[in-house]
Formats: sequence, C-alpha cells, structure tokens
Amino acid sequence: MLVSPLIMPSYDLELEKAIACVKEKGYKTVLIQLPDGLKPRAKEIVDALRKETGAEVLVWLGACYGACDIPHGLSQLGVELLVQWGHNVFRKKSTGW
Amino acid sequence: MMEVMFIDAKTKEEKIILDSGTVDYCKKYKVIAVYAAVQFASQLPTAVSQLAEAGIEVITSQPDRTSREFQILGCDTFHPGLRLARDPDAYLYVGDGLFHPRALALAQKDADRFREIIRYDPFAKQHFILDESDVRAILRSYKGNLMAFLAATNIGVIVTTKSGQQQFVPGKELAKRYPEKSVYYFAENTIDFSRLEDFPFIEVWVNTACPRIGYDDATERRIAMVNLNDAMQAKELLSSKNLLTKE
Repeated sequence: MLVSPLIMPSYDLELEKAIACVKEKGYKTVLIQLPDGLKPRAKEIVDALRKETGAEVLVWLGACYGACDIPHGLSQLGVELLVQWGHNVFRKKSTGW
Repeated sequence: MMEVMFIDAKTKEEKIILDSGTVDYCKKYKVIAVYAAVQFASQLPTAVSQLAEAGIEVITSQPDRTSREFQILGCDTFHPGLRLARDPDAYLYVGDGLFHPRALALAQKDADRFREIIRYDPFAKQHFILDESDVRAILRSYKGNLMAFLAATNIGVIVTTKSGQQQFVPGKELAKRYPEKSVYYFAENTIDFSRLEDFPFIEVWVNTACPRIGYDDATERRIAMVNLNDAMQAKELLSSKNLLTKE
C-alpha cells in the first residue's frame, strides 16, 4: 500500500452509487472531483468506473474546496456527469455570506 | 445539461464513540453545541448519548447551506447561518480536519466572549482544544484590514465565477454603501493572490467568495483584504465591544 492508513483514513467511496448512475443514464464521459485528502485515491476510482461502465473518466486537476466549488465549462469536453466526493448538496444563498 | 452528483465519503466507522477523556473534559460545560464534518454527521447518536448521560445538554442545528443536522460548513458558522436557537457554553466538533473548527472560532469575532471548541478526532480517538489564542493573530490582522478599508479610497472587489460562491449582486451594494470610494470589480475563478499585485492602485481588496479567503488566507499572506459582509458594516464592527476589537 502506497499510502499509510494513518494518513489516508478509511472513507467509504460508495463507488457503486457512481457506477449505478453512469450505467442507468448511459453516460459516456464522466469527470470526478476530489478534495485534496482523497486525491490519492483517484486511480482507484477511475479504474473502477472505467472497468464497470466503459465510460471515459477525467479527473479534475484543480481545487475542490466544497460543494460550492463546481468547475464550469466542462460541457466543452462533453462531460455529462460530474461526481464530487467528500461533500454534500450545497444550498447557496444569493444574499451573500 | 451536466448532472452533478455528490458522494459524502462517510467514514467506515458505524458510530462515533467518544473516549472517556473527551467526555470528562466536556463535563466542565453545561450546554455544548455538537457539529461534524459530513463524513461523520450521520454517526453521532452514540456520542450525543454519551454527553447526555454525563449531564451535558446537547444542542445542534441544520445550518442554512447544509444538507443535514449536525453538518457544518466553513461559511455557515456565522449567525444567523448557524441557526442555533441559543448560544452554547462550548462547541464539540467531530472530525479530523481543522478547517471547520477554525471557522467556528473565527465566526466568534462579533461575540462578546469566546466559546471554546473541542475537536474530537475519531481517527486519533482523542480531543484537541481550539481557544481564542489560536485565532487572535488573525483577528488582530483582520481588524487592521477593516481600519485600512475605511481609510482607503480605491477598493477592489473580487467576484469569483464559481457558481456556488459567486456573489456579484451583493458585491455591487458596496459601491452604494460607500459612494465616496472608487470601487472596481474584478472577476476570477480561483483567486491567485499573486495576481493582486498587478493592480497596485487598489489599496484594499474586498472578497465576495468563500469567507475564509478574507480571514485566514489573506491575513496569513499579509494582504489588505476584508470580506464583503464585514466591509458593509465596518464602522459598526470596529465601534462595538467584541472579540475583534478586544485588545
């Protein structure tokens, strides 16, 4: 194992959820976005998604500060599904912070 | 249209059990507000029961921008976003990171006194304390930035293009609030602080994106920056008795 379990605590990636969504909707191009703490597990996620769905899977190289931080412009790459790990639905308030 | 899916990445622990040292420490408080990172927010019932059995009243909330009770976000620690019915004596945060408990500490800048944050790390199985001294340097710098803002003429307002953090409409209120200042608006996706040096005529920056940019990120880099909400009420903040103005 490349990463110590003390550094990389055991989080449940629930890959089956992402795989089921890709299969159900028939998505061909998927982008995954991970917070820094989960980025070392990108290979595990990409390999599983590719193997189980046959979809093209991209990894967001940039920041992932929270559910408020969704990359835009992805449609230019044909991305149909973005899966962000480590966060939950963000209820933005348009009146500021 | 692109679909967006979130996966919490919950910890594999089925329940969070506080160690005896943490429970004993919490006994010094009567009322504790409990929050957690989303990875732990659904595994808290046992920990809450432990505190209740120790005679501690546990309170919590579902903050404005979150998806569930107990969950906390860095931008939701401020009143009234936290939506806590009343002030606790202290906070217990369950999680292995410092971002959220530090947010709970910084959000107390408007408060009359500091409420300690007890951070329970479920992996280390022990607690750590965040007290006023952990954020005092940031608050001191931030107070200076607010004073600089009030004195400045040329203000740069930063608006992010990140849809979740974009606050251009509230940002435009700044020019109305301070008609005597010249306010310039700048757009960017992720803020690169080194880019700010390209505009030397800006005396003080106002951040409208994630509020943590204005607090820890800017003060640690000694950049004159304040958050929009504080800029809008700078005079009131600086003339009140609170942790920000405490010497």
